[in-house]
Amino acid sequence: MWNVELTGEFIAFFVFAVMIITGAVMMLSLTQVVHMVLSLLAAFIGMAGMFVLLQAEFLAFVQVLIYAGAVTILMIFGIMMTNHQGEGAEFPRAWHEGLAAVGALALFGLLFYAIRQADFSQVTAYAPAEDNTLAIGKLLFTGYVVPFELVSVLLTVAFIGAIVLAKKEAD
Amino acid sequence: MGDRLNESLSWGNALIFTLWGVVLLILVLGFVTYAIYFERKVIGWMQHRIGPNRVGPLGLLQTVADILKLLIKEDTIPRKADRVLFILAPALAYVPAFGVLAVIPYTQNLYFADINVGLLYYVALSGITTIAIVLGGWASNNKYALLGGMRSAAQMISYEVPLVISVVGVIMVSGTMNLRSIGEQQGDWFWQWNFLPQIIGFVVFIIAAVSELNRTPFDLPEAESELVAGYHVEYSGFRFAFFMLTEYVYVYAIAALTTVLFLGGWQAPLAFLDFVPGIIWFLLKFASVVFFLIWLRATMPRIRVDQLMGLGWKVLLPLSLANVFITAVYLELFVK
Repeated sequence: MWNVELTGEFIAFFVFAVMIITGAVMMLSLTQVVHMVLSLLAAFIGMAGMFVLLQAEFLAFVQVLIYAGAVTILMIFGIMMTNHQGEGAEFPRAWHEGLAAVGALALFGLLFYAIRQADFSQVTAYAPAEDNTLAIGKLLFTGYVVPFELVSVLLTVAFIGAIVLAKKEAD
Repeated sequence: MGDRLNESLSWGNALIFTLWGVVLLILVLGFVTYAIYFERKVIGWMQHRIGPNRVGPLGLLQTVADILKLLIKEDTIPRKADRVLFILAPALAYVPAFGVLAVIPYTQNLYFADINVGLLYYVALSGITTIAIVLGGWASNNKYALLGGMRSAAQMISYEVPLVISVVGVIMVSGTMNLRSIGEQQGDWFWQWNFLPQIIGFVVFIIAAVSELNRTPFDLPEAESELVAGYHVEYSGFRFAFFMLTEYVYVYAIAALTTVLFLGGWQAPLAFLDFVPGIIWFLLKFASVVFFLIWLRATMPRIRVDQLMGLGWKVLLPLSLANVFITAVYLELFVK
Protein backbone atom coordinates (compact mmCIF):
# COMPACT_ATOMS: atom_id res chain seq x y z
CA MET A 1 0.00 0.00 0.00
CA TRP A 2 2.71 2.46 0.93
CA ASN A 3 5.02 2.39 -2.02
CA VAL A 4 6.98 5.39 -0.77
CA GLU A 5 10.25 5.38 1.06
CA LEU A 6 10.02 6.93 4.50
CA THR A 7 12.83 9.50 4.35
CA GLY A 8 13.44 12.66 6.35
CA GLU A 9 12.39 14.71 3.34
CA PHE A 10 9.09 12.84 3.13
CA ILE A 11 8.32 13.47 6.81
CA ALA A 12 9.32 17.12 6.50
CA PHE A 13 7.06 17.49 3.47
CA PHE A 14 4.09 16.20 5.43
CA VAL A 15 4.82 18.36 8.45
CA PHE A 16 4.97 21.47 6.27
CA ALA A 17 1.93 20.44 4.26
CA VAL A 18 -0.11 20.00 7.43
CA MET A 19 1.18 23.37 8.64
CA ILE A 20 0.09 25.12 5.44
CA ILE A 21 -3.32 23.51 5.32
CA THR A 22 -4.06 23.95 9.02
CA GLY A 23 -2.92 27.56 8.82
CA ALA A 24 -5.10 28.28 5.82
CA VAL A 25 -8.17 26.57 7.26
CA MET A 26 -7.79 28.27 10.63
CA MET A 27 -7.31 31.61 8.90
CA LEU A 28 -10.78 31.20 7.39
CA SER A 29 -12.56 29.76 10.38
CA LEU A 30 -11.27 31.87 13.27
CA THR A 31 -13.03 35.12 14.11
CA GLN A 32 -10.44 37.24 15.95
CA VAL A 33 -8.21 39.22 13.61
CA VAL A 34 -5.05 38.53 15.62
CA HIS A 35 -5.71 34.78 15.61
CA MET A 36 -6.34 34.84 11.87
CA VAL A 37 -3.13 36.71 11.16
CA LEU A 38 -1.20 34.24 13.30
CA SER A 39 -2.55 31.22 11.42
CA LEU A 40 -1.58 33.02 8.22
CA LEU A 41 1.94 33.18 9.65
CA ALA A 42 1.92 29.40 10.17
CA ALA A 43 0.93 28.92 6.52
CA PHE A 44 3.70 31.25 5.34
CA ILE A 45 6.33 29.49 7.42
CA GLY A 46 5.12 26.17 6.04
CA MET A 47 5.57 27.58 2.53
CA ALA A 48 9.09 28.68 3.41
CA GLY A 49 9.79 25.13 4.58
CA MET A 50 8.55 23.81 1.22
CA PHE A 51 10.96 26.14 -0.57
CA VAL A 52 13.80 24.78 1.56
CA LEU A 53 12.82 21.25 0.55
CA LEU A 54 12.92 22.34 -3.09
CA GLN A 55 16.45 23.68 -2.51
CA ALA A 56 15.39 27.27 -3.10
CA GLU A 57 16.86 28.56 0.15
CA PHE A 58 17.04 32.19 -0.98
CA LEU A 59 13.34 32.25 -1.76
CA ALA A 60 12.55 30.48 1.52
CA PHE A 61 14.23 33.04 3.76
CA VAL A 62 13.04 36.01 1.74
CA GLN A 63 9.56 34.57 2.18
CA VAL A 64 9.99 34.51 5.97
CA LEU A 65 11.63 37.96 6.02
CA ILE A 66 8.93 39.69 3.96
CA TYR A 67 5.90 37.93 5.35
CA ALA A 68 6.99 38.06 8.99
CA GLY A 69 7.17 41.85 8.62
CA ALA A 70 3.88 41.90 6.74
CA VAL A 71 2.18 39.80 9.42
CA THR A 72 3.37 42.18 12.13
CA ILE A 73 1.96 45.16 10.25
CA LEU A 74 -1.30 43.35 9.54
CA MET A 75 -1.56 42.48 13.21
CA ILE A 76 -1.12 46.11 14.21
CA PHE A 77 -3.85 47.16 11.78
CA GLY A 78 -5.99 44.37 13.14
CA ILE A 79 -5.49 45.61 16.67
CA MET A 80 -6.03 49.28 15.86
CA MET A 81 -8.92 49.12 13.43
CA THR A 82 -11.22 46.38 14.62
CA ASN A 83 -13.23 46.19 17.78
CA HIS A 84 -12.65 43.28 20.11
CA GLN A 85 -16.01 43.13 21.82
CA GLY A 86 -17.10 39.73 20.47
CA GLU A 87 -18.07 39.87 16.81
CA GLY A 88 -21.68 38.65 16.64
CA ALA A 89 -21.91 35.16 15.18
CA GLU A 90 -23.62 35.03 11.78
CA PHE A 91 -26.79 32.98 11.71
CA PRO A 92 -26.09 29.61 10.13
CA ARG A 93 -27.41 28.91 6.65
CA ALA A 94 -27.71 25.17 6.34
CA TRP A 95 -28.19 24.92 2.55
CA HIS A 96 -25.24 27.26 2.03
CA GLU A 97 -22.89 25.02 3.94
CA GLY A 98 -24.30 21.93 2.26
CA LEU A 99 -23.70 23.36 -1.18
CA ALA A 100 -20.16 24.37 -0.22
CA ALA A 101 -19.48 20.83 1.03
CA VAL A 102 -20.74 19.29 -2.21
CA GLY A 103 -18.66 21.71 -4.27
CA ALA A 104 -15.53 21.02 -2.23
CA LEU A 105 -16.00 17.27 -2.49
CA ALA A 106 -16.52 17.50 -6.24
CA LEU A 107 -13.37 19.58 -6.62
CA PHE A 108 -11.43 17.09 -4.51
CA GLY A 109 -12.72 14.20 -6.63
CA LEU A 110 -11.77 15.97 -9.83
CA LEU A 111 -8.27 16.83 -8.62
CA PHE A 112 -7.72 13.38 -7.19
CA TYR A 113 -8.78 11.75 -10.44
CA ALA A 114 -6.58 14.08 -12.49
CA ILE A 115 -3.58 13.46 -10.30
CA ARG A 116 -4.05 9.70 -10.39
CA GLN A 117 -4.37 9.79 -14.19
CA ALA A 118 -1.43 12.10 -14.77
CA ASP A 119 1.69 10.58 -16.19
CA PHE A 120 4.73 11.70 -14.23
CA SER A 121 7.28 10.13 -16.52
CA GLN A 122 10.85 10.88 -15.60
CA VAL A 123 11.67 14.25 -17.11
CA THR A 124 15.30 15.32 -17.27
CA ALA A 125 16.73 15.45 -13.79
CA TYR A 126 16.51 18.95 -12.38
CA ALA A 127 19.87 20.32 -11.27
CA PRO A 128 19.51 23.26 -8.88
CA ALA A 129 22.11 26.02 -9.12
CA GLU A 130 25.06 25.68 -6.77
CA ASP A 131 24.44 29.13 -5.32
CA ASN A 132 20.90 30.10 -6.19
CA THR A 133 21.20 33.61 -4.77
CA LEU A 134 23.86 34.27 -7.39
CA ALA A 135 21.75 32.64 -10.09
CA ILE A 136 18.67 34.70 -9.22
CA GLY A 137 20.72 37.90 -9.14
CA LYS A 138 22.26 37.21 -12.54
CA LEU A 139 18.88 36.42 -14.11
CA LEU A 140 17.29 39.52 -12.60
CA PHE A 141 19.89 41.80 -14.11
CA THR A 142 20.17 40.12 -17.50
CA GLY A 143 17.11 38.33 -18.84
CA TYR A 144 14.51 39.88 -16.58
CA VAL A 145 15.86 43.39 -16.12
CA VAL A 146 12.84 45.15 -17.67
CA PRO A 147 10.15 43.41 -15.59
CA PHE A 148 12.34 43.88 -12.53
CA GLU A 149 12.65 47.62 -13.08
CA LEU A 150 8.93 47.91 -13.86
CA VAL A 151 8.07 46.22 -10.57
CA SER A 152 10.41 48.59 -8.75
CA VAL A 153 8.68 51.59 -10.34
CA LEU A 154 5.28 50.15 -9.42
CA LEU A 155 6.37 49.74 -5.80
CA THR A 156 7.73 53.29 -5.71
CA VAL A 157 4.44 54.61 -7.09
CA ALA A 158 2.48 52.72 -4.44
CA PHE A 159 4.84 53.99 -1.77
CA ILE A 160 4.53 57.64 -2.81
CA GLY A 161 0.78 57.23 -3.15
CA ALA A 162 0.55 55.96 0.42
CA ILE A 163 2.55 58.94 1.69
CA VAL A 164 0.33 61.40 -0.23
CA LEU A 165 -2.85 59.81 1.13
CA ALA A 166 -1.52 59.82 4.70
CA LYS A 167 -0.43 63.46 4.36
CA LYS A 168 -3.86 64.54 3.08
CA GLU A 169 -5.49 62.95 6.08
CA ALA A 170 -3.06 64.59 8.49
CA ASP A 171 -3.76 68.12 7.19
CA MET B 1 31.06 18.75 12.11
CA GLY B 2 30.88 20.00 8.52
CA ASP B 3 31.18 16.66 6.72
CA ARG B 4 28.62 15.04 8.92
CA LEU B 5 26.00 17.55 7.73
CA ASN B 6 26.19 16.07 4.25
CA GLU B 7 25.71 12.48 5.38
CA SER B 8 22.26 10.95 5.33
CA LEU B 9 20.19 11.40 8.44
CA SER B 10 20.48 8.14 10.34
CA TRP B 11 19.40 7.68 13.92
CA GLY B 12 23.04 7.96 15.04
CA ASN B 13 23.54 11.27 13.24
CA ALA B 14 20.25 12.60 14.50
CA LEU B 15 21.38 11.77 18.05
CA ILE B 16 24.70 13.56 17.49
CA PHE B 17 22.94 16.67 16.12
CA THR B 18 20.57 16.70 19.07
CA LEU B 19 23.48 16.39 21.50
CA TRP B 20 25.29 19.31 19.86
CA GLY B 21 22.08 21.32 20.07
CA VAL B 22 21.88 20.58 23.78
CA VAL B 23 25.53 21.54 24.23
CA LEU B 24 24.89 24.89 22.51
CA LEU B 25 21.78 25.42 24.64
CA ILE B 26 23.75 24.85 27.83
CA LEU B 27 26.54 27.14 26.63
CA VAL B 28 24.02 29.85 25.80
CA LEU B 29 22.30 29.50 29.16
CA GLY B 30 25.70 29.79 30.85
CA PHE B 31 26.46 32.87 28.77
CA VAL B 32 23.14 34.48 29.66
CA THR B 33 23.59 33.78 33.38
CA TYR B 34 27.02 35.40 33.49
CA ALA B 35 26.21 38.15 31.00
CA ILE B 36 23.53 39.36 33.41
CA TYR B 37 25.97 39.16 36.35
CA PHE B 38 28.65 40.93 34.33
CA GLU B 39 26.22 43.62 33.24
CA ARG B 40 25.11 44.33 36.79
CA LYS B 41 28.69 44.36 38.04
CA VAL B 42 30.02 46.63 35.28
CA ILE B 43 27.13 49.07 35.50
CA GLY B 44 27.60 49.05 39.28
CA TRP B 45 31.27 49.97 38.96
CA MET B 46 30.54 52.63 36.36
CA GLN B 47 28.05 54.20 38.75
CA HIS B 48 30.34 53.90 41.80
CA ARG B 49 28.38 51.08 43.35
CA ILE B 50 29.58 47.60 44.24
CA GLY B 51 27.03 45.53 42.35
CA PRO B 52 25.83 42.10 43.45
CA ASN B 53 28.24 40.66 46.04
CA ARG B 54 26.21 38.61 48.53
CA VAL B 55 25.24 35.30 46.95
CA GLY B 56 28.28 33.07 46.53
CA PRO B 57 31.89 34.28 46.24
CA LEU B 58 31.95 37.79 44.68
CA GLY B 59 28.22 37.46 44.09
CA LEU B 60 28.82 34.92 41.34
CA LEU B 61 25.70 32.96 42.19
CA GLN B 62 23.39 36.00 42.22
CA THR B 63 21.92 35.32 38.77
CA VAL B 64 21.54 31.62 39.51
CA ALA B 65 19.52 32.56 42.59
CA ASP B 66 17.44 35.03 40.55
CA ILE B 67 16.65 32.41 37.93
CA LEU B 68 15.72 29.90 40.62
CA LYS B 69 13.40 32.50 42.10
CA LEU B 70 11.75 33.07 38.71
CA LEU B 71 11.29 29.35 38.16
CA ILE B 72 9.57 28.66 41.46
CA LYS B 73 7.44 31.80 41.36
CA GLU B 74 3.70 31.45 40.89
CA ASP B 75 2.77 31.60 37.23
CA THR B 76 -0.06 34.10 36.86
CA ILE B 77 -2.23 34.49 33.78
CA PRO B 78 -4.64 37.45 33.87
CA ARG B 79 -8.28 36.36 33.77
CA LYS B 80 -9.13 38.50 30.73
CA ALA B 81 -5.98 37.64 28.81
CA ASP B 82 -6.08 35.61 25.63
CA ARG B 83 -4.89 32.43 27.30
CA VAL B 84 -3.54 30.49 24.33
CA LEU B 85 -1.63 33.40 22.81
CA PHE B 86 -0.40 34.49 26.23
CA ILE B 87 1.21 31.08 26.66
CA LEU B 88 2.42 30.89 23.06
CA ALA B 89 4.15 34.29 22.91
CA PRO B 90 7.26 33.60 25.08
CA ALA B 91 7.97 30.36 23.22
CA LEU B 92 7.48 32.03 19.85
CA ALA B 93 9.92 34.72 20.94
CA TYR B 94 12.59 32.30 22.11
CA VAL B 95 12.59 29.70 19.33
CA PRO B 96 13.87 32.05 16.57
CA ALA B 97 16.38 33.56 19.01
CA PHE B 98 17.95 30.15 19.52
CA GLY B 99 17.45 29.20 15.88
CA VAL B 100 19.59 32.05 14.55
CA LEU B 101 22.60 30.77 16.48
CA ALA B 102 22.82 27.80 14.12
CA VAL B 103 24.50 29.77 11.33
CA ILE B 104 27.17 31.49 13.40
CA PRO B 105 30.67 30.14 12.73
CA TYR B 106 33.07 30.25 15.69
CA THR B 107 36.20 29.26 13.83
CA GLN B 108 37.09 27.85 10.44
CA ASN B 109 36.00 24.37 11.50
CA LEU B 110 33.71 24.94 14.46
CA TYR B 111 30.26 25.78 13.17
CA PHE B 112 26.80 24.30 13.32
CA ALA B 113 25.29 24.89 9.90
CA ASP B 114 26.90 26.08 6.71
CA ILE B 115 24.05 27.72 4.79
CA ASN B 116 24.57 29.67 1.59
CA VAL B 117 22.18 32.37 2.75
CA GLY B 118 23.27 32.43 6.41
CA LEU B 119 22.93 36.18 6.80
CA LEU B 120 19.45 36.21 5.29
CA TYR B 121 18.46 33.34 7.57
CA TYR B 122 19.53 35.37 10.59
CA VAL B 123 17.58 38.46 9.59
CA ALA B 124 14.49 36.51 8.54
CA LEU B 125 14.21 34.52 11.75
CA SER B 126 14.83 37.44 14.04
CA GLY B 127 11.78 39.12 12.48
CA ILE B 128 9.54 36.44 13.96
CA THR B 129 10.48 37.52 17.48
CA THR B 130 8.89 40.92 16.77
CA ILE B 131 5.59 39.16 16.12
CA ALA B 132 5.91 37.32 19.42
CA ILE B 133 6.50 40.57 21.30
CA VAL B 134 3.46 42.28 19.75
CA LEU B 135 1.50 39.12 20.46
CA GLY B 136 2.60 39.05 24.10
CA GLY B 137 1.62 42.69 24.48
CA TRP B 138 -1.76 42.16 22.88
CA ALA B 139 -2.60 38.89 24.62
CA SER B 140 -1.96 40.42 28.06
CA ASN B 141 -5.00 42.66 27.62
CA ASN B 142 -3.20 45.50 29.39
CA LYS B 143 -2.76 48.98 27.99
CA TYR B 144 0.89 49.33 28.99
CA ALA B 145 1.72 45.95 27.53
CA LEU B 146 -0.07 46.84 24.29
CA LEU B 147 1.73 50.19 24.05
CA GLY B 148 5.05 48.47 24.64
CA GLY B 149 4.28 45.87 22.00
CA MET B 150 3.26 48.52 19.46
CA ARG B 151 6.38 50.57 20.10
CA SER B 152 8.46 47.47 19.72
CA ALA B 153 6.90 46.63 16.36
CA ALA B 154 7.36 50.17 15.04
CA GLN B 155 10.94 50.29 16.24
CA MET B 156 12.01 46.87 15.07
CA ILE B 157 10.52 47.27 11.62
CA SER B 158 12.03 50.69 11.06
CA TYR B 159 15.47 49.58 12.21
CA GLU B 160 15.45 46.26 10.41
CA VAL B 161 15.62 48.15 7.11
CA PRO B 162 18.93 49.99 7.80
CA LEU B 163 20.29 46.87 9.51
CA VAL B 164 19.78 44.77 6.40
CA ILE B 165 20.98 47.47 4.00
CA SER B 166 24.09 48.20 6.07
CA VAL B 167 25.31 44.61 5.67
CA VAL B 168 24.71 44.70 1.92
CA GLY B 169 28.10 46.46 1.65
CA VAL B 170 29.79 43.51 3.35
CA ILE B 171 27.94 41.07 1.10
CA MET B 172 29.10 43.02 -1.98
CA VAL B 173 32.72 43.02 -0.83
CA SER B 174 32.72 39.31 0.04
CA GLY B 175 30.46 38.19 -2.78
CA THR B 176 28.57 35.75 -0.56
CA MET B 177 25.98 35.56 2.19
CA ASN B 178 27.60 32.55 3.79
CA LEU B 179 28.87 33.74 7.18
CA ARG B 180 31.74 31.27 7.20
CA SER B 181 33.11 32.54 3.88
CA ILE B 182 32.64 36.15 5.02
CA GLY B 183 34.75 35.38 8.09
CA GLU B 184 37.34 33.55 6.03
CA GLN B 185 37.84 36.33 3.51
CA GLN B 186 38.92 38.94 6.03
CA GLY B 187 42.68 39.16 6.13
CA ASP B 188 45.35 38.54 8.73
CA TRP B 189 45.89 42.20 9.56
CA PHE B 190 43.23 44.15 11.40
CA TRP B 191 42.99 46.88 8.75
CA GLN B 192 41.85 44.24 6.29
CA TRP B 193 38.78 43.43 8.37
CA ASN B 194 35.48 44.74 7.12
CA PHE B 195 35.00 47.38 9.80
CA LEU B 196 37.55 49.79 8.31
CA PRO B 197 36.68 49.54 4.59
CA GLN B 198 32.99 49.41 5.52
CA ILE B 199 33.13 52.00 8.28
CA ILE B 200 29.75 53.61 7.40
CA GLY B 201 28.10 50.20 7.23
CA PHE B 202 29.70 49.24 10.53
CA VAL B 203 28.44 52.32 12.39
CA VAL B 204 24.93 51.99 10.96
CA PHE B 205 24.94 48.27 11.77
CA ILE B 206 25.94 48.84 15.40
CA ILE B 207 23.30 51.53 15.95
CA ALA B 208 20.56 49.50 14.25
CA ALA B 209 21.62 46.37 16.12
CA VAL B 210 21.39 48.08 19.52
CA SER B 211 17.93 49.24 18.52
CA GLU B 212 16.91 45.75 17.42
CA LEU B 213 18.04 44.49 20.82
CA ASN B 214 15.75 47.02 22.54
CA ARG B 215 18.62 48.19 24.72
CA THR B 216 19.41 51.66 25.99
CA PRO B 217 19.33 54.23 24.36
CA PHE B 218 16.60 52.56 22.32
CA ASP B 219 14.75 50.71 25.08
CA LEU B 220 11.44 52.47 24.51
CA PRO B 221 9.36 49.27 24.34
CA GLU B 222 10.08 48.66 28.02
CA ALA B 223 10.62 52.20 29.23
CA GLU B 224 9.90 51.55 32.89
CA SER B 225 9.17 55.16 33.77
CA GLU B 226 6.39 55.39 31.17
CA LEU B 227 5.13 51.88 30.57
CA VAL B 228 5.87 50.07 33.86
CA ALA B 229 7.72 47.32 31.98
CA GLY B 230 6.34 47.38 28.47
CA TYR B 231 5.16 44.28 26.69
CA HIS B 232 5.92 41.87 29.53
CA VAL B 233 4.11 43.71 32.37
CA GLU B 234 1.67 40.87 32.90
CA TYR B 235 4.20 38.08 32.67
CA SER B 236 5.73 36.52 35.72
CA GLY B 237 7.82 33.55 36.71
CA PHE B 238 8.82 31.13 34.01
CA ARG B 239 7.28 33.00 31.07
CA PHE B 240 8.91 36.29 32.09
CA ALA B 241 12.22 34.43 32.30
CA PHE B 242 11.72 33.33 28.70
CA PHE B 243 11.35 36.91 27.48
CA MET B 244 14.48 37.94 29.37
CA LEU B 245 16.31 34.92 28.01
CA THR B 246 15.30 35.87 24.46
CA GLU B 247 16.68 39.34 24.97
CA TYR B 248 20.06 38.09 26.18
CA VAL B 249 20.29 35.35 23.55
CA TYR B 250 19.94 38.12 20.97
CA VAL B 251 22.79 39.96 22.69
CA TYR B 252 24.86 36.82 22.17
CA ALA B 253 23.73 36.50 18.56
CA ILE B 254 24.34 40.14 17.64
CA ALA B 255 27.76 40.17 19.32
CA ALA B 256 28.75 37.02 17.43
CA LEU B 257 27.35 38.37 14.17
CA THR B 258 29.23 41.68 14.55
CA THR B 259 32.41 39.74 15.22
CA VAL B 260 32.01 37.60 12.13
CA LEU B 261 30.80 40.32 9.76
CA PHE B 262 33.00 43.24 10.70
CA LEU B 263 35.69 42.27 13.20
CA GLY B 264 37.38 39.49 11.29
CA GLY B 265 35.78 36.56 13.13
CA TRP B 266 38.49 34.18 14.28
CA GLN B 267 41.38 35.97 12.54
CA ALA B 268 44.28 37.32 14.60
CA PRO B 269 44.63 41.13 14.50
CA LEU B 270 48.30 40.96 13.48
CA ALA B 271 49.60 38.26 11.14
CA PHE B 272 52.39 37.13 13.50
CA LEU B 273 49.88 36.45 16.30
CA ASP B 274 48.59 33.50 14.30
CA PHE B 275 49.83 30.95 16.82
CA VAL B 276 46.99 31.82 19.24
CA PRO B 277 44.02 29.61 18.33
CA GLY B 278 41.18 31.29 16.43
CA ILE B 279 38.56 30.55 19.03
CA ILE B 280 40.46 32.73 21.55
CA TRP B 281 40.39 35.69 19.16
CA PHE B 282 36.73 35.06 18.48
CA LEU B 283 35.93 35.03 22.19
CA LEU B 284 37.98 38.18 22.83
CA LYS B 285 36.22 40.13 20.10
CA PHE B 286 32.86 38.71 21.14
CA ALA B 287 33.45 39.75 24.76
CA SER B 288 34.46 43.27 23.69
CA VAL B 289 31.24 43.70 21.74
CA VAL B 290 29.20 42.50 24.74
CA PHE B 291 31.13 44.89 26.98
CA PHE B 292 30.47 47.73 24.53
CA LEU B 293 26.73 47.07 24.70
CA ILE B 294 26.83 47.17 28.51
CA TRP B 295 28.98 50.28 28.51
CA LEU B 296 26.46 51.98 26.22
CA ARG B 297 23.66 51.09 28.60
CA ALA B 298 25.46 52.69 31.54
CA THR B 299 26.24 55.84 29.53
CA MET B 300 23.31 56.87 27.39
CA PRO B 301 19.91 58.26 28.36
CA ARG B 302 16.82 56.98 26.55
CA ILE B 303 15.83 58.91 23.42
CA ARG B 304 12.31 60.10 22.57
CA VAL B 305 9.99 58.27 20.18
CA ASP B 306 10.09 60.99 17.50
CA GLN B 307 13.89 61.15 17.70
CA LEU B 308 14.01 57.38 17.37
CA MET B 309 11.94 57.36 14.19
CA GLY B 310 13.76 60.40 12.80
CA LEU B 311 17.13 58.77 13.39
CA GLY B 312 16.07 55.52 11.77
CA TRP B 313 14.44 56.86 8.63
CA LYS B 314 16.21 60.16 8.03
CA VAL B 315 19.78 59.36 9.08
CA LEU B 316 20.50 55.64 9.12
CA LEU B 317 18.56 54.66 6.00
CA PRO B 318 20.15 57.29 3.68
CA LEU B 319 23.57 56.55 5.19
CA SER B 320 23.27 52.83 4.57
CA LEU B 321 22.02 53.42 1.02
CA ALA B 322 24.96 55.77 0.41
CA ASN B 323 27.25 53.03 1.72
CA VAL B 324 25.86 50.53 -0.79
CA PHE B 325 26.29 53.06 -3.59
CA ILE B 326 29.87 53.98 -2.63
CA THR B 327 30.81 50.31 -2.29
CA ALA B 328 29.38 49.56 -5.71
CA VAL B 329 31.25 52.45 -7.33
CA TYR B 330 34.49 51.43 -5.61
CA LEU B 331 34.14 47.78 -6.66
CA GLU B 332 33.37 48.81 -10.23
CA LEU B 333 36.27 51.26 -10.52
CA PHE B 334 39.09 49.62 -8.58
CA VAL B 335 38.44 45.93 -8.17
CA LYS B 336 37.07 44.83 -11.52
